Amino acid sequence: MKLETLSKKTVFRALNSDGLRFTIGGFNVCLSSSVPAVAEHLLSLYGAFDVLDNTAFIDFYTALEPPSKLRRFFRPQVNFSFDGYFPFKPLPYKQASAMFEWGLNWCIASHSHQYLIIHASVVVRNRKAFIFPGVPGSGKSTLCAALVSRGWRLLSDEMTLLSVSDGCVYPLPRPISLKNRSIDVIQEFAPDAVMGSIVKNTAKGSIGHVRPPDNSVAQYNTPAQPAKLIFPKYDKDSNTVLTTLSKSRALLKVTENCFNYNILGVKGFNSLSNLIDVSDCYDFKYSNLEEAVALFTDLAH
Amino acid sequence: MFENNLIGLPIIAVIHCRFWDDECVIYNQLTGDVHLIDGMGVEVFKVLSKKAASRIQLLKNLNSVFEWEMDFNAEDFLDNLINEYQKLGLVEVTKNTCA
Repeated sequence: MKLETLSKKTVFRALNSDGLRFTIGGFNVCLSSSVPAVAEHLLSLYGAFDVLDNTAFIDFYTALEPPSKLRRFFRPQVNFSFDGYFPFKPLPYKQASAMFEWGLNWCIASHSHQYLIIHASVVVRNRKAFIFPGVPGSGKSTLCAALVSRGWRLLSDEMTLLSVSDGCVYPLPRPISLKNRSIDVIQEFAPDAVMGSIVKNTAKGSIGHVRPPDNSVAQYNTPAQPAKLIFPKYDKDSNTVLTTLSKSRALLKVTENCFNYNILGVKGFNSLSNLIDVSDCYDFKYSNLEEAVALFTDLAH
Repeated sequence: MFENNLIGLPIIAVIHCRFWDDECVIYNQLTGDVHLIDGMGVEVFKVLSKKAASRIQLLKNLNSVFEWEMDFNAEDFLDNLINEYQKLGLVEVTKNTCA
């Protein structure tokens, strides 16, 4: 059953009682929250996700709640918890939906060492996975949202899950997180993209999430073979420039964008080496999204 | 400097080498460090990843791959290279009992 088939009242009630249970990629999540913005966030962006019944195994029990009753009235705050553990300091109440996304990132990055997790967006065209690693601000999510809006399959916006056992990239299709100017850029580039509420004044500035395409969510069980490893760099004055990067240098560069490379040790090194073996590697500078999409569409043929 | 020695990958640390084109990346399992190697170093590790070698064997291999400038001192260059790799824990120099 898809989340969008539930009434608003049912979603609110589930979040306020034992928690709403749903599947995100290969993970089962249970979320409890009395914060209305969290329910709105799920209803607008997670509609295509499968809801689970109470018997399903849950990977991550999460909650978003105000830290104390007093805080409901005076500078209200919200806390993210995982299995009763609070990994972060509370954030302003209005940032609850963004905190859910960040908290879930933390859950997956900290507990999923069956994958080498690369800080990268990953999209698929013609069964070829294009991986875009990058630090925040490199433009990887903007590129990802642009490609997805033109029919590319979304595997993941924030984290590329590279299996250490078979070398495939496993899907984690979740809302695409855009920051600051990227929000306007994508709203202009893809006016049909569904965007949730904009959360302002976060530590990262303004945050907006784009709903993942329904067909990408539906393929949450279908991994993809990596084909291209591309390091994007958005530069407002740049032409569209794709430069071949040596495989050795690409490996060194991608190690800097991994969440758990050090934890995996030699398995991590071998996984990355195998990824590099099968991928063409590039540096990519851009400012024009139309040109970028056209270039990658050509490259995917 | 290493005339009577055998140069090889360390016994304690496990060194993993991956070669692509004219570069290689070396992973030291003991420290978790990754090193990018290019130029002559790649040829050195191509030899050492198969088995330990003497300085003369390494020089012979390098001579077969590279053409040196007249004034280039390959022996000094190799010694410096081995010295650097030794400091990084990527190679080990032992007494060559077969010499």
